[in-house]
Amino acid sequence: MSAPATTTHASGHELEQSKFWIFVQIAMLLAVITGLELVTVYLPFMKWILISALVILSTVKFMFVIFYFMHLRWDKAFCTILFFIGLVLAGGTMWALLKLFGVADSKPLSMAEPAAVVRLAA
Amino acid sequence: MSSTAAAGTIDHHHDSTTVTGIPNKKLLMWAFLASDCMFFGCLISTHLIYRLHPPPGTPNARDVFSIELTSFSTFILLMSSLMMALAVNSIQKGNLKSLRWSLLTTIFFGCIFLGCQVYEFRNFVYEKHLTITNSILGTTFFTLTGTHGLHVLIGVIWLTGMLIYSFTGRLTEKDAIDVESMGLYWHFVDIVWIVIFTAVYLLEYI
Repeated sequence: MSAPATTTHASGHELEQSKFWIFVQIAMLLAVITGLELVTVYLPFMKWILISALVILSTVKFMFVIFYFMHLRWDKAFCTILFFIGLVLAGGTMWALLKLFGVADSKPLSMAEPAAVVRLAA
Repeated sequence: MSSTAAAGTIDHHHDSTTVTGIPNKKLLMWAFLASDCMFFGCLISTHLIYRLHPPPGTPNARDVFSIELTSFSTFILLMSSLMMALAVNSIQKGNLKSLRWSLLTTIFFGCIFLGCQVYEFRNFVYEKHLTITNSILGTTFFTLTGTHGLHVLIGVIWLTGMLIYSFTGRLTEKDAIDVESMGLYWHFVDIVWIVIFTAVYLLEYI
């Protein structure tokens, strides 16, 4: 019985040791990605390309933090599911609100076309 | 609490005494964080919606924001996340000395972040004349970043409490779940800032 226990202990210890270096490397990677994000906003590309690049870079940072620093990679899948339920609901709400208020009819009256203001007043 | 998987080692990721196999404290924290996601999602949406249709007279955010200061704050918060991860790693190995140093560094970085935010708010109010009541930009910006700052402050207080508790001699490897739950909260504060940094600050510079 002692041999498997020792093996488990050794492999557990190795995992904890390797985690230290994984965390350090990820932190460095996150710092580099933050630098890249800063450079991105000053690049002379089309707006949608820059926005897409920023969204991808911040998503990568987000995923690294939740899966490594927050241990989701090593925890039971239920933790991931639980958190992603909240994340999907939040993302869906954000998407719906931005779509709803993004249309021209949602513009404040002071910004709307004069004809539309007259029509509303009538 | 976590169960003992084998002699001399504790499985910190699974708990055979619960139905889900997940320590209850960890499950509670994940449920809370999922709900907090929706809270911050609404605050960020509100800010973005008002930035989509800025009323006349709204100050130009680019003239108000300081990207250098915010980038520095972001870097500091990322490094605090690293130290928090190392603190959890330390308590899981039963290394109290390393835990204390990691917690102390995390608190230090958290205080620097809060200091930067206080400096930024003061600068906005007194130099740039942007207050929470004089424009929509000010209202949504201060509400969002202020709420995040409050989360950081609560995290710093929690970390300080844990650091003090570690000196009582009652914090052992078996209590790693308490430090891990606190770590989850701290990392969440970091991921919210990752989103705020992009959605609130960087998008203004495009």
